[in-house]
Formats: sequence, C-alpha cells, structure tokens
Amino acid sequence: MSVSRDDFSIAFRSALLQRGGAQKFSVLSLIFLALLIFFLDVYGVKFTKPVRGFINDVVYRITYLASTPTRIFPQVGDNISSFLNVKKENERLKAEIEKYKSLELNVEFLTDENKNLQNILETEYFNKNLSNILLAKVLVDKNSPFLKSVIINKGTRAGVLKGMPVTKDNYLVGRVVETNYLSSRVLLLNDLNSRIPVTLDQGAQAILSGSGSKNPILEYLPEDYEIISDINVFASGKDGIFTPGTPIGKTTNEGLIELFVDPNQLSFVTVNLNIQNKGKL
Amino acid sequence: MARISILNKFYNAGPLILLYYLCISEVDTNLEKIFEIFTLNFQIILIYFWILKRPEIMANGHIFLAGLINDVVMGFPLGISSLSYLIMIFVGTYVRAKSVNTTIASDWFTFFIAMIFSNLLFFSLLNNFSELSFTLSKIGYNMFFTLFTFPIFWLLFNIYQMTFVGNRDA
Repeated sequence: MSVSRDDFSIAFRSALLQRGGAQKFSVLSLIFLALLIFFLDVYGVKFTKPVRGFINDVVYRITYLASTPTRIFPQVGDNISSFLNVKKENERLKAEIEKYKSLELNVEFLTDENKNLQNILETEYFNKNLSNILLAKVLVDKNSPFLKSVIINKGTRAGVLKGMPVTKDNYLVGRVVETNYLSSRVLLLNDLNSRIPVTLDQGAQAILSGSGSKNPILEYLPEDYEIISDINVFASGKDGIFTPGTPIGKTTNEGLIELFVDPNQLSFVTVNLNIQNKGKL
Repeated sequence: MARISILNKFYNAGPLILLYYLCISEVDTNLEKIFEIFTLNFQIILIYFWILKRPEIMANGHIFLAGLINDVVMGFPLGISSLSYLIMIFVGTYVRAKSVNTTIASDWFTFFIAMIFSNLLFFSLLNNFSELSFTLSKIGYNMFFTLFTFPIFWLLFNIYQMTFVGNRDA
C-alpha cells in the first residue's frame, strides 16, 4: 500500500518538477507563469494593455504572413476559373447593368421623395456625415468555435476606437471590440456575445443576437409576432452606435437571420469613424 | 552524414513546427464551414501524443509559447491556452512515468482524462474571468470530436514516428 502511494507521489512530483534534456522549464513553474500572465492580462489593465497591444500587432502580422499560402492557393484556383468563364460573365454583367440602369431611376425618384418627406416631417437623418469612413483589410480570419471575430489592419493610429461599427458594401458586419496601435479585432454579428437593436420591414423592433453559428437570431420581438421568411432586417440605431437603416440581413423560414454579408468571406471592410460605443461589450 | 543529421533534426522538429503553425496561422481544424458542429482541438491531440511518445521533441517552453500565441490569435485572455496545454503535459508525463507499455486504447483513455481536466480549467477560467460567453453544446461537440478523432491522429503520428523519428517508447 505504502509502495503504491510512494509510486504515485514520485510520478506526480516528477511530472510537475522534472527538468533536464530538452525540458528547460518544469511544468509547475510554467503553470505559475501562465497563471501570472493570465491574471495580469485580466486585471492589470493599465500595465498590460500597451504590452498586449504590441504583442497583438506583432503576432497578427506574423499570422497574416504565415497564412499567405492558404490564402493564395484558393485565390489562384478562383482566378483560373473566372478567366475561363470571362465571356459568360461579361454577358451576365451586361444584362445586370441594364437592370440596374432602370433601377437607378427608381432610386433617384425615391431619394427625392424621401428628402421631401423628411422636410415635411422636419426630421433629418441624424448621421449623414459618412465622409469619415476607413477602409480596412482583414488580416486574420481564424475560424474559432467559441469566438467569431476577424482582425483588421487598422488600429488606433488610424483613429479606430472600441465600439465603432464595421460594414462591408454598406451592410453591417460587426463592431470593433479590441484596438491595438496597428490592428483591431472586430466582433461579428453571429458571435454569441453580439447584441444589436434592429428594426424589421414592418416596423417591429427586436434585438439581433449572435447564436455562435452562421445565422443570428431575433430576440425580444413583439408578442404574437410571427416571423415569416424574406423580411429585411436593418439596424435601428437606437443604441446610437449603428447608423439607422443599415441593412443587416433577411429572415429565413426557420426564424433565423441570413446575413447579407457572409461572415466567413470577409476580405475588406469599412469602419465608420464617426460613431463610437461608449458602453461595454 | 551531416545531411542525415540535419534531416533528422528537421523530422524531430516536425510536430513542434506543426504546433506553432496551427497556433499562428489561419489554418484551423475547425470545419464548421463544412459540417456545422464539427470542431476539434487538434493542438491538444498533437501535444498529448508527442508528450507520451517522445517528450524530448516537444519542449515545455515551446508548448507554453505556442499557447500564448494561440491566445493572441484567438482573442482569449493571455495564458489560458498555455495552462490548458500544460495540464495535458502534466497528465501525459504522469502517465508516461507510471506506465511501462502503452497501447492505443490506454492512450485514448488517458487522453480523455487529460482532456477533461484541461478543458475544465480552460472553460471555467474563461467563464469566470472573461466576458466571453459560449454554449455548453459547442464545448460538448468540441470535446466529442476531439476524443473520437484521437485514434486516427494517433495512427498517423505513429506512422510519422516510425518512419521519420524512430521509436524510443517507455
């Protein structure tokens, strides 16, 4: 009995304290070091923030370089296939241009009508100043099962602050949750931690919550509200962060929201530098 | 002779290079795009296998550093992945010290125990000390697929070990 207890304690001690050969550090010392770093990162905001920011900037750049092969090979394949389909693509685009020409006239008419109606109501779109828009490249898009986010190549140096909304082709994709000097992390709409006040086509208000999967869900809808498919969802702007009317997605038959921008396919995004969320994540 | 020695060094460094590459690059073993619930923690399989079989080619310091890099890339609080990996090393080293001969079944079973401890620590720290929220189903799927793909990677790593590294099992 005592022999087996001795065996246990020897093996236990050896697993924790063993050094020598390739192992220059014992597991126990590294556990203490990891715990120290962890608590400094969680609690020591003032001290660790610049250090963490610097580490983030360096690692994101290296990640971008290290991921180059995985980014280039699929791109080469896409380029070859698009080159082969160039004639068909040209015909399709010509047809689309014709379609959009007629739609443009419609939009012009609706814009004028909208302006006139706003004048009559004496209200004005409170955030028309969209000149302060920053184009950013997605550096890292590592698909994590627990955190849906991307890293962009613009940070505090370019004026990016925590809370700023991020869009792609005028469609909302998320908001900035972490800023470094040269890079920032954008929390995507489908992340479990994301909550956005939205409005639906028919005027109903709700909260768009990330579900951790590709499609977010709607919460706090009016009582007895029945979700049908193909209803457009826009940012309501009630939080003062997102521009009201920014398109987000449309409803599906299952009551989920299909985002207009695929969160897994982001390469360039824009950051609206005018607005900043002062609240917490 | 010198060329063989360089090649051997390169083969020995293979698992460590793979670990660093997985932590720092966009390449991930999270195949949600193909099959929504399929996620696995490949890093802990890699660490556990090589700590059991050839601990000298997986230095603790390197694993610790890889964990820190993983935290930066994933957006987790610094040190949390390192802690999780160090728990895997600890259980692996303990099992290695206690056992004379290992089989795929014994490695699989002890991997399960190591993974339970490692993930328990990882998610309890994440839950209590960060603002990140996650669902239990995600954790469950991740653990399930990590556990059930372990034998496949065990066989692949074993082939690599036999072919390039050489067997020096305890």
